[in-house]
Amino acid sequence: MSIFVGVDQVDKIFELTGGGQYIALKGIDLQIKKGEFVSLIGHSGCGKSTLLNMIAGLDLPTEGLVTLEGQRIKKPGPDRMVVFQNYSLLPWRTVRENIALAVDSVLHGMPAAERKAIIDRHIDMVGLRPHADKQPGMLSGGQKQRVAIARALAIRPKLLLLDEPFGALDALTRGNLQEQLMQICEENQVTAVMVTHDVDEAVLLSDRIVMLTNGPESKIGDILEVDIPRPRKRMEVVKHPSYYSLRSEMIYFLNQQKRIKKIRARKTAAVVRHGLEKVNLEIGFLPITACAPLAIAKEKGFFIKHGLDEVNLVRESSWRGIVDGITGGYLDAAQMPSGMPMWLSLGGNKNQPLPVVTALTMTRNGNAITLAKRFYDEGVHSLSDFKNYLLKTREQTHRMGVVHPASMHNLLLRYWLAAGGIDPDSDVVMKNIPPAQMVVDLKGGTIDGYSVGEPWNYRAAVEGSGFTIATDLEVWLGHPGKVLGVREDWAETYPNTHIALTKALLEACQYCADPANAQEIRQILASQEYVSTDIEYIQLEDPNNATCDLNHPMREYAHHQFYSESAINRPSRTEQIWIMTQLARWGDTPFPRNWVEIVERVCRVRVFSTAARELGLDISYTRQPIQLFDGKPFNADDPIAYLNDLEIKRDFSIAEVILDAPRRTAA
Amino acid sequence: MTTFTAKRRNSNNSDSAISVFISKQLPEIIPPTIAIVVFLVIWQVFSLIAGTLPGPIQVVQETWELILYPFYDRGGIDKGLFWQIFASLQRVAISYTLAAIVGIGLGILIGVNQTMSKALDPLFQLLRTVPPLAWVPISLAALRQNEPAALFVIFITSLWPILINTAVGVKEIPNDYNNVAKVLQLSQKEYFLNILIPAALPYIFTGLRISIGLAWLAIIAAEIVMSGIVGIGFFIWDAYQANKVSEVILALVYIGVVGLILDKLMAWLQNRILPQQK
Repeated sequence: MSIFVGVDQVDKIFELTGGGQYIALKGIDLQIKKGEFVSLIGHSGCGKSTLLNMIAGLDLPTEGLVTLEGQRIKKPGPDRMVVFQNYSLLPWRTVRENIALAVDSVLHGMPAAERKAIIDRHIDMVGLRPHADKQPGMLSGGQKQRVAIARALAIRPKLLLLDEPFGALDALTRGNLQEQLMQICEENQVTAVMVTHDVDEAVLLSDRIVMLTNGPESKIGDILEVDIPRPRKRMEVVKHPSYYSLRSEMIYFLNQQKRIKKIRARKTAAVVRHGLEKVNLEIGFLPITACAPLAIAKEKGFFIKHGLDEVNLVRESSWRGIVDGITGGYLDAAQMPSGMPMWLSLGGNKNQPLPVVTALTMTRNGNAITLAKRFYDEGVHSLSDFKNYLLKTREQTHRMGVVHPASMHNLLLRYWLAAGGIDPDSDVVMKNIPPAQMVVDLKGGTIDGYSVGEPWNYRAAVEGSGFTIATDLEVWLGHPGKVLGVREDWAETYPNTHIALTKALLEACQYCADPANAQEIRQILASQEYVSTDIEYIQLEDPNNATCDLNHPMREYAHHQFYSESAINRPSRTEQIWIMTQLARWGDTPFPRNWVEIVERVCRVRVFSTAARELGLDISYTRQPIQLFDGKPFNADDPIAYLNDLEIKRDFSIAEVILDAPRRTAA
Repeated sequence: MTTFTAKRRNSNNSDSAISVFISKQLPEIIPPTIAIVVFLVIWQVFSLIAGTLPGPIQVVQETWELILYPFYDRGGIDKGLFWQIFASLQRVAISYTLAAIVGIGLGILIGVNQTMSKALDPLFQLLRTVPPLAWVPISLAALRQNEPAALFVIFITSLWPILINTAVGVKEIPNDYNNVAKVLQLSQKEYFLNILIPAALPYIFTGLRISIGLAWLAIIAAEIVMSGIVGIGFFIWDAYQANKVSEVILALVYIGVVGLILDKLMAWLQNRILPQQK
C-alpha cells in the first residue's frame, strides 16, 4: 500500500531565549499507511507532541519534510484535524455550536440542511443528544472529549490526530471512550496518529506503536507491530498471547530510556587509581545462580582486593538489557551467556557487528530443560517420547521458552530437539522470555517448556508445575554457561583494568567452587540484591549428590561448576567455534568466512593466562574435544563441514564479517 | 439548576415566597444596617463634641427641601439634585462610551499586533498613571470650553483600564483556541467574531467595570474645577462657597449611591452577557 503520511528525515530545533538551541527531534522517519492507527509513545519531553504538531502543520520541521498524500505539509488544515489534549472546546458555545463552527467553516460549500444533518449525526455518534445545547462548562471531562472527537470527525478529515486524548480522564471513562474511538475509527476507516503515555492504551488502539527515545535529539527507538486482530475488545485483548510481550516490550523500552537519562546525568569519567585505567565499573548481571562469581567478588571484596574500588553491580531483568547496556556503552562489563560475545561480534544484534570479547568463562553447566508437568503425566519421559507426543498433537502449537537467541539454553535446547528429530523452528515455537518469568509463564500455560539456568528448573520441579526432562548430564556435560563479556574497544582502552577484573572474578570463581563456602554463597545469592528467591532453590552442591526425593523422578543435576584446575575458566576457542556453527545453523548470524580471525578476537586467552599467572594459579590446559549427548563428533578445524553434516538446519550463509579494526577509544 | 428550582417555588406559592425571600435575605441585611447605624451615631457624637461639621440630624434638617424636591428647576444652575446628577451622568455616558469604543479598538490592535504593542505600550503606561485632576488644566487650555474639557477628562481617565485589559485579554487567548482556528482555517472575520471577542470578553468587562468607577470619580473632579455648569461636582463647590456644609454632605451621599449603582449595573450586565464559564 502506498504511503499516506510521510515523515522524512525530520529534525526539529528550537531556538532558546538564551541564544542556544535545543534539538528536540533528530532524523525522524515514519511512513503511515491509509487506515492505519499509529501511536507515539515516549517519556514526557521526548518530542512526541512536537511530531504530532508537525503532522498537523501547527509546527514546521527545521529539516526534512512531512507529507500527506505526497503533498508537503506547510500549514494546518481541516484535512488533518486535531483532538487536543485539553479538548479545546470554546466555552461560550454549546456542544452543537462548537461542532457547527467547525462544520460551517470547513464544509461551507454544502447546503445548510446537509450541514445540520452532519452535525446531528455526529452528536448522536458520540451519544450526546441530551447535552447538545449545553455549554462545555456543564459537561464532564469524558463528555467534553467526546465533543472534541465528534467535532474532529464531523469535518471528515483525512487524518485524525489525537494528542493524549484520554490523559485527563478517569479509568472507567477512558476505557469506554477508547472502545468508542476504536469503533468509530473502524466504521469510518480513519487514519489516526495518537500521542499517548499509556502503554495499555497504545496496545489496545494501535496497529503500530512508535517508541521515541528521550530528548534531546529524540529519535524513533523502535516500532512495534500490534498483531492483535480487530475488532478488539478491551477485556479480550488482555488475553491475547502477544499482549503481555508487547506491553513488556514497551515498558522495557521506557524504563531503559529512563535509565539512560539517569546515566547521562551521572558523571561517568573514568577514575584512574592503583595503576588501573578505570576503577569505577558498572557490571551487568541477571538474577540467576550463575551470577555467583560477581556477587561473591563484590560481597567478599575480591574487586577491591584487585584495585577495583568502585564496582557497581547492575541487575538487569533480561539479557536484552545486557545487550543494550553493552552496545549503548553504559555497562563496562557484563555477565553474558556464552554465545553472546560471538553473537554480538557477528552482528546478531540488529545486524550491526559489535566486537565483544571474553577472557573468562565464569560457570559451566547449571542448565536444564523443563517441560510442563502435564507432559510427564501423559507419559513424556524422554526426548523420543516428546517427539512422538509432538507428532500426535500436530494441530497444537507448542511454545518453548528460551532466554535469548545467543544463550546456551537456546543453542542447547535447539541442538537437543534437533538431535531428537524435532525441528525447533517448525515443530515448536521458540519464545524469548526473561529467566525469572519462565516459571510464571509455565504455570500460566503460555509456554509448554523452557530451557534456562538454575534456579528456575529446580524451582518448577519443586513447585510441581514442571519437570526436568534433560539436564546438562544429558545434553552436554561441562558446556560453558556464563562468561565475562566486554566490548573490544573497552578492552583495548582499559587493558590493565580488564586483567584486574578477570583476576577478581577468577578468584571469586575459585571461592565459589569450595564446598565449605556453599552455605554462605547460597545466602548471599538468595538475598534481595541478587536472585531474590527462597534459599532452598539455590543449589550449589556437587552434581554427584542426589538432590531430592519428590514423587516424580528428580534428575541428578549438573550443578554449576565455577572453578577447576583443569582450566574450565579459560575461554575456549573450540567452544566458540561450535557456538558459531550453531548460530549459523539456526540462521541467527552468517557463518564468517574469516572465522579464524573472529575466534582469535573474541577469545582473549592471553588476558586469562596473565590473570591466572598473576594469581599464582597452576592451570594446566589441554585441548579437549566437545562431547555432546548424541555423540556426533565436532571437528573445530573444519566447522563448515560439520555444519553441512547436520541434518536439521536453516539455510545458512557464509560471509565475510568485517569487524572494525581494534582501536582505543578516547577515554 | 438553582435558578430553575427557585423559579418553580415562586410560581407554586408566591405568598410565602416573599417571606422566604426576606428571611433568606435577613442575614445579608442586618449586619450592614447595624454598621450604618453605628456609623451615624459616632458621627453625631463627634459633631456634638467638635462642632465644626453638622451631625446627621442637622444635615437632614437643613437639606430637607433638597431631599423632598429633587426635580425643581429655577433656571441657570439652580436646579434640583436629580438634574445635577443627571447632567453629570450624561457627560459620563458620552465620554465613557467613547472611551469604551476607543479602548476596546486600540486594545485589540495592541493585543493582536506585536509591533504595535511594543511601540505603544510605554506611552500608554506613562499616560495611564496621570491622575484625572492633572488633565483638567491641559484640557481647558486645549479646548477652551468647560463642557468639552470635562468630557475629555472623563474620557482620558476611563480609557486606560479598558484599553489595557482588552489588550491583555487578546494576548491571553489560550493557544488551544488559536490552534482550533488555525486547523479549521477560519477566516479573519470568523476568527474575530467567534474566537477573539468571546475569549477576550471577560477581560474587557473587567476593564469596563474599573473604568465606570474611574469615570464617575473623574466627573466630580472635573466639575469642581470648571465653574458655571450644571452638575453634581459644581453643586458641591457652589455649596461650599456658600458655606452650606450640609448640602455638601448630602451631595456626597448621592455621589456614593450613584457610584454604587453604576458598579452594580456593570456587574449585572457582565453576568448577563458572559456565559457562566468554569
